[in-house]
Amino acid sequence: MAELPIWQFDSLFLIVVLLFGITSLAMQNLMSAAIVFGAYSFLMCLIWTAMGAVDVAFTEAAVGAGVSTVFIVATIHNCGVTAKPMNSRIGFKLFAGAIAVGTGAFLLSALPDFPAWGDPQSPVNSTVAPYYIENTIRDAHVPNIVTTVLADYRGFDTLLETAVVFIACIAIYSILRVDSAKSTVDEPDVVTSPPAYDPTDSLIIRQASRIMVPFMQIFALYVIAHGHYSPGGGFQGGVILGASVILLCISFDLKFVLRQWTEKRIMILTALGVLIYASVGVACLFMDGNYLDYGVLDSILPGDKSYARYYGILLVEIGVGVTVMFSMIGIYMILASNGRFRQGL
Amino acid sequence: MLLVLVRVIKGPTVIDRLVAVNVIGTKSIVLLLFSGIIFGQLDMFVDIALGYGLLNFIVSIAASRYYQHRRSLKQKGQPS
Repeated sequence: MAELPIWQFDSLFLIVVLLFGITSLAMQNLMSAAIVFGAYSFLMCLIWTAMGAVDVAFTEAAVGAGVSTVFIVATIHNCGVTAKPMNSRIGFKLFAGAIAVGTGAFLLSALPDFPAWGDPQSPVNSTVAPYYIENTIRDAHVPNIVTTVLADYRGFDTLLETAVVFIACIAIYSILRVDSAKSTVDEPDVVTSPPAYDPTDSLIIRQASRIMVPFMQIFALYVIAHGHYSPGGGFQGGVILGASVILLCISFDLKFVLRQWTEKRIMILTALGVLIYASVGVACLFMDGNYLDYGVLDSILPGDKSYARYYGILLVEIGVGVTVMFSMIGIYMILASNGRFRQGL
Repeated sequence: MLLVLVRVIKGPTVIDRLVAVNVIGTKSIVLLLFSGIIFGQLDMFVDIALGYGLLNFIVSIAASRYYQHRRSLKQKGQPS
């Protein structure tokens, strides 16, 4: 691996990423800023791959570049497309600039203390990492070490991460949700809507996405289930599953999807994912083990202790996938429909 | 890729940028696969490239849908 031209790659990417970052900040048109920001995320994904961090790259491609750009577009749909220039005083601008430069200098001052990239003696690589690398296959029969660390050795962290996704979804709901029974502000918008944009509906896009969506979902299920062997897992697969439904929302329209996936169902299923994860842990408690210690599940699950961990990881990944999928759909719907859950982008 | 970059940064309209970013996405898929060949684990990188392509598609569809929707709202507003 030493002969890779990593240095040249990285500096090229760094320049391009910086260019994109500055461009997307400098634009007045929010839509182009969002698009350039998407390109920025795609290039970040390339940087992660050049470092060999394929799982992170996958997450960046799915979350950073894909779904969050769609979220931003949905937000712009309800907010208007041009940014108002800030008319603050010059003193305030200088103050803000000084704070930004100061923080950046402070962070950069910590740079020499970092261990060199890939240094085998660094604290990260010398404490727990050798244990993971040596024992993953023996403990859980999972070739992808990242998956084992994520869902087994550090199961608590991932449980709480899933809970964070769930809580974020709830927070967005409680801020943005408008009770459509009470609010009559935008009522004419709702009344005149039904056939409003039928003439411009594109048959090509509809048919293309009709073909794409099942393949996307199969691919996403593969990503969740095959996370033991290849990059991916609950988070990435869940995002792709969510994105497939978002694609339906975009290419047909929101109402079409809302007929199948009502708001209540989405919320229940979002909670269900966290419940699956947590109840796997509770099941371990009942089998005389520690919380999330899948090894003790070997009397329920097929195989011996290490295969029980293998299947435990799979169950947990499914829980993560369900939560992530439905929170993505829910967040998209609430952003696109301006909190009313009737119609939107 | 550099030529497309110019279009992204300068691009007179948003649509130019949209198409340019889409092209960058397509090129990055190829780059991803190349880096997969370099690392010698092509099977892993094919997964990422697939996910990447799908999401790239959705982003472009969403952005263009936004413009379509806005135009239809405008047309609806003007005749009345």
